[in-house]
Amino acid sequence: MVEKYISYFAHQPLACITVFSTLLPLAFICYRKAGVDPSFRLLLIFLIFKISTDIIMLHYATFRWNNIIYYNVGIPVRYVLLSGMFYYKFESKILRKWILNIMIVFLIFSVWDIVSVNPDILDLHGHRMVAYATTLESLLMLFWILIYFYETIRSLKIPNLLSFPFFWICSGLLLFYASFAFVAPFLTYVFKWENWLNIGFVSYVPYVFEIVTNIFLCIGVSFFSPRYYAEH
Amino acid sequence: MAFFVILFVMFYQKRQLHQEKKLREIEKDHQRKLLDTALNSEENERRRIAQDLHDDIGTMLSLTKLSLNQLSKLVAESDIKEDQIMRKSQSLVEETILHVRRITRDLVPTTLERFGLAAAIEEFINKLEEDNNLRLSFRANTEDAPRQSQKVELTIYRIMQELVNNSIKHSKCSQIEINLQVNSKFIGLIVTDNGIGFDPEMIKENNLAGLGLLGIESRLAIVDGTIAYEKPKSGGCRAFAQIPVVHASGNKPEPLHPFRRERMTI
Repeated sequence: MVEKYISYFAHQPLACITVFSTLLPLAFICYRKAGVDPSFRLLLIFLIFKISTDIIMLHYATFRWNNIIYYNVGIPVRYVLLSGMFYYKFESKILRKWILNIMIVFLIFSVWDIVSVNPDILDLHGHRMVAYATTLESLLMLFWILIYFYETIRSLKIPNLLSFPFFWICSGLLLFYASFAFVAPFLTYVFKWENWLNIGFVSYVPYVFEIVTNIFLCIGVSFFSPRYYAEH
Repeated sequence: MAFFVILFVMFYQKRQLHQEKKLREIEKDHQRKLLDTALNSEENERRRIAQDLHDDIGTMLSLTKLSLNQLSKLVAESDIKEDQIMRKSQSLVEETILHVRRITRDLVPTTLERFGLAAAIEEFINKLEEDNNLRLSFRANTEDAPRQSQKVELTIYRIMQELVNNSIKHSKCSQIEINLQVNSKFIGLIVTDNGIGFDPEMIKENNLAGLGLLGIESRLAIVDGTIAYEKPKSGGCRAFAQIPVVHASGNKPEPLHPFRRERMTI
């Protein structure tokens, strides 16, 4: 059994490093006690959820079982938790209301997408990736990130962006979703459990950007100070 | 593209902040200039009123006194009643002359201009001790220090006046201690009283600062000074004002003097 894991690690080192790179920001959040901030608490929940599903998916992949259902289920959860961070960061009530409304719409849409792509939802072996939900999620997240950047520039409340934790979090997410937005439309056609299409280096792009994102998350959390948070 | 967006946000925000900071500095500078002009106008107006009182009313009153003296010699030979009225008139004129002198001195601290801060503060507390049932003490280390610019000296003097007047008016104190310390960088003024004291934070939070305290802060803002209030454990209040040293340039205002004005030549 251990040999199987070692063999998988040897064949897919980048995918395995990506999975375990999530532990870095998770450890940073716990160490810096960033959970006191509601946004960072959601990030913590997301990272715990992500590492759990990633490990399960890794386990399934090692034993060559279809793990795409976990990926599909993870999309609405990931969007709710990550866009929820912006709910706490935006001061405008209208934007907050829009985040909540779009969250509900996206939840419904992603469930519809999963069901429409997989008419026989109980057929786990033949489960396929969603067609539109990932692309829509990327575009929506990019939209919230850019709105946040716009609000930051407009309000001029942050004297030094480079030492502001959430700026790094947003930058990391921007990199991740910007790279993902290009790959996401093709995922449903490329990554099929049966007839896996080899697209070469492009398939590694999301992994690379995910690692970069985790590094950005670590930088952001390292600037977090519970005392500073309490003062503000 | 994403990297470009991140870099753009970083640089644009930095530039915006820099511009905002510059704008605030310009605004602050403008406010400071306005305040300086207002205070200068006030001092000039005081000087003009004092000059008018001194030159016109003071001179006329002195001449009236001389005339009354001459008249009293003539009246002394006649009726007792008329003599009494004359003496009363003389004392009233004398009293008026004293009042005019006091008002002139209050308007423009001539001792400050001629002899410096320590002498002016001493004169001020001597006058206060005469009029009030107060114990005032004054300590200074300014003997060897060079004279400061007129603006700095006047600021310290006016602040001292305001702080002492506040202590007398509001603190119900029986003792006031004034301490003037000068070193190579700063002039420090400490005014301590043994009254009921006040909580400066509460006054700031509730916008209770009157014109006096605001006036002190405005005057200090012009000369880059600061003020701190504290409540000593022994009770009362202690105010500590600090102003950077600016040595006198030598352009002193002309002291008040009768017949100072230029005579018209026909």
